Amino acid sequence: MEEIKNRVLQVLTDGNLDYRQKKHHLAYIAESTQDYPDISKEAGEALNEKIICDLFEGTAPYRPRYVLPDYAYALKNGVNYLELEPPTNFDEAINFLSILYIQVPSITGYSVYLGNIDTLLLNYVGDLSEDEIYKKMKLFWRFIDRTLPDAFVHINIGPEDNVIARVILRIERELKQVVPNLTLKYDPEITSDELLLEASKTVFEVAKPHIANHKMTAADFKGEYGVVSCYNSLPVGGGSHTLIRLNLKKITDLHSGDAESFISGTLKKYCKMTLDVIEARSKYLVESVKYYDTDFLAKEGIISLDNFSAMFGFYGLAECVNQLMKRSGKELIYGKDEEANQLAHLILEEMKKIVDAREVPYCKGNNGKAFFHAQSGIDIDIEETAGARIPIGIEPDIYSHINTVAPHHHLFNGGISDIFHFDETVKRNPAAILDIIKGAFRKGMRMFTFNLSNGEFIRITGYLVRRSDLKEFREEGSRYGSALFAANSMDNANVDNRISKRVISNEQVAGKY
Amino acid sequence: MSKLQANISGIIKSSVIDGPGNRIVIFFQECNLNCMYCHNSHTIGLCNLCGTCVDTCPTNSLKIDSENKRIIHNKNSCTRCDECIKVCPENSSPFYKQMSVEDIISEILEVKDFISGITVSGGEVMLHAPFLSLLFQEIKSHSGLKHLSILIDSNGNIEQKKWDSLLPLIDGVMLDIKAYSAKTHKQITGYSNEKILKSIEYLNDKNKLKELRFVLTPNYNNDESELREIAKIMKSVSPNVGKTLIKMRNHGIRKEFSFLREASNEEMNFAKDIFGQADIDILVI
Repeated sequence: MEEIKNRVLQVLTDGNLDYRQKKHHLAYIAESTQDYPDISKEAGEALNEKIICDLFEGTAPYRPRYVLPDYAYALKNGVNYLELEPPTNFDEAINFLSILYIQVPSITGYSVYLGNIDTLLLNYVGDLSEDEIYKKMKLFWRFIDRTLPDAFVHINIGPEDNVIARVILRIERELKQVVPNLTLKYDPEITSDELLLEASKTVFEVAKPHIANHKMTAADFKGEYGVVSCYNSLPVGGGSHTLIRLNLKKITDLHSGDAESFISGTLKKYCKMTLDVIEARSKYLVESVKYYDTDFLAKEGIISLDNFSAMFGFYGLAECVNQLMKRSGKELIYGKDEEANQLAHLILEEMKKIVDAREVPYCKGNNGKAFFHAQSGIDIDIEETAGARIPIGIEPDIYSHINTVAPHHHLFNGGISDIFHFDETVKRNPAAILDIIKGAFRKGMRMFTFNLSNGEFIRITGYLVRRSDLKEFREEGSRYGSALFAANSMDNANVDNRISKRVISNEQVAGKY
Repeated sequence: MSKLQANISGIIKSSVIDGPGNRIVIFFQECNLNCMYCHNSHTIGLCNLCGTCVDTCPTNSLKIDSENKRIIHNKNSCTRCDECIKVCPENSSPFYKQMSVEDIISEILEVKDFISGITVSGGEVMLHAPFLSLLFQEIKSHSGLKHLSILIDSNGNIEQKKWDSLLPLIDGVMLDIKAYSAKTHKQITGYSNEKILKSIEYLNDKNKLKELRFVLTPNYNNDESELREIAKIMKSVSPNVGKTLIKMRNHGIRKEFSFLREASNEEMNFAKDIFGQADIDILVI
């Protein structure tokens, strides 16, 4: 009890947290008083040592990690719980969604998915002019940023070119907000080059949208899909109970043999253990908390347990491969040497097989299996590279980069992302970016984004922060919950090593309280 | 395929500054101008096997292969200190290599999914017109490559007839005008500009002039009368031709030309205003 009291006091008196952030941390502490869902002792130890990481979901899951409400269904049918009738015009639709967004649970407390917004709102455009739409959307965008101040809050547009998608890109360039994070679903047969060009110009200004290979991603889902949070692709009207990720670097440290025995032994063992944790957490949420029986979203059919699954993630592939190569007496590097790339591919295929072979309860949303996801990293990852990415700073030229990562993108039905870096000169020639995007998708990439070397916005692993917010956070805290993650990421992982000196600051890690 | 070969000083597989879209750029060795501010002066001359670089190389990575009349370069021991380039009396380099049309095609095939087109540059690429003609024909008849656009980056110092066989195969030419007055042009480049002025006019008539660039070099081509004449030329070509005013940068130019000075903001604005007064839409970089 004394320990809890101290942790609470530390949160209460932390001047870098605002009221809402404090409340969030206090809830986390309260939750931590509960026993962890039923897992083996070995799995518990692996969690404690961060070999398996539950990304601070808490010890007693009382809401799913990722919820993707079927906003189209809600708009059509209204929401009894919120006393909302189906909207009849554009203003009502925006107002309806604004209210609903606030009610969607997540781990961060802010909805990770705000819908395929252009498709949702097109039905309500009526005879509004583009200028009228622009004015209304601008206010809506400001509302989203100010009320859901978290970079994991994600909205989708596309693949069709339409007035709302274009207006949104224009507003993004003007407002330069961190929130919402944005993905453009791109299909060369549907999306116009003009919209892709608008999107590219927007990336130059605000490092978003992220571009998703629509055809490839849609093929992995029975119904609609959404790209949420840090580039997780999940079913609309469902989501993921949990995301548990395996630290491939740490399990390679623990392994004493060669690559072959790693794949057949250590990897298998820890993948199973990760799946055990996933299963225990999913069961707890469904059976003990009875979330899907009690929450209004489920009761009113805006989400359905049948559309949910869970996510199996991993990170630190680069370190795992490089170390296994070193042990076999070869100084071969992932991202640079073909033999290392092949080993990486083999490891990923093996993990995918293990994940696909395991029936996990309450995962109907993916035919009874967990989604496989290359997790894009968080602030505490000091020695590990995000997901299956090539470590920051040693990325090869753009073509080698794409040729290294594209062959495994098809494995990740739960999402994967890579970041390509471009020099500022590309701003004068946005058509060049179109060439790269199209080429990358032709090579089988699922999702990616790009950073400009001097942009005001920086992509931190999967989410986005403003350079000025980082500076501000280090000095006096920030309105955005995710700036804390970002400040830590920058300090820990050379994320910013192309641009300016890293600033050493008092590191704060989520879950430290 | 033809046995014709060309000296290639380098290939950049992804460039966003050599024409629209992402492009592969093939640089040819040898130039027929000698601009003071040349940033790639090692692409001007051809190697005459004098051996100066071989004697200078601190890691002994260069050797003369007299039988095949070329320099052998040991990539493993070379540290790319570029001393060889600095001492070369011919403004050449031991690194360029002979390539056939087939060799270049295979380089393009490697990146074809990622590019809008091909830009050939130099050196002065038009010194290799017969080779270019073969290369472009090969590209245009290749089912996987024929959609790619082809641009030539040239100094224009070439006889008019040399353009003729290439124009039907290409999308356009990007060309520099270094100075209007023949005297100034000779000061900057070592040669007069008659052929260049003709090339500009000819390519514009043929609707193949893509871009016209002017490099502002203080104390040489920045006085008002010179700028007004340049503006006249810019104005004389189609409004569809992209126009660019470039600030001469003295980074990377040869030591003997280190006296060249970069234009101040005032000087850049002065030039920009003159183009503006002539109602020319010009990009300043």
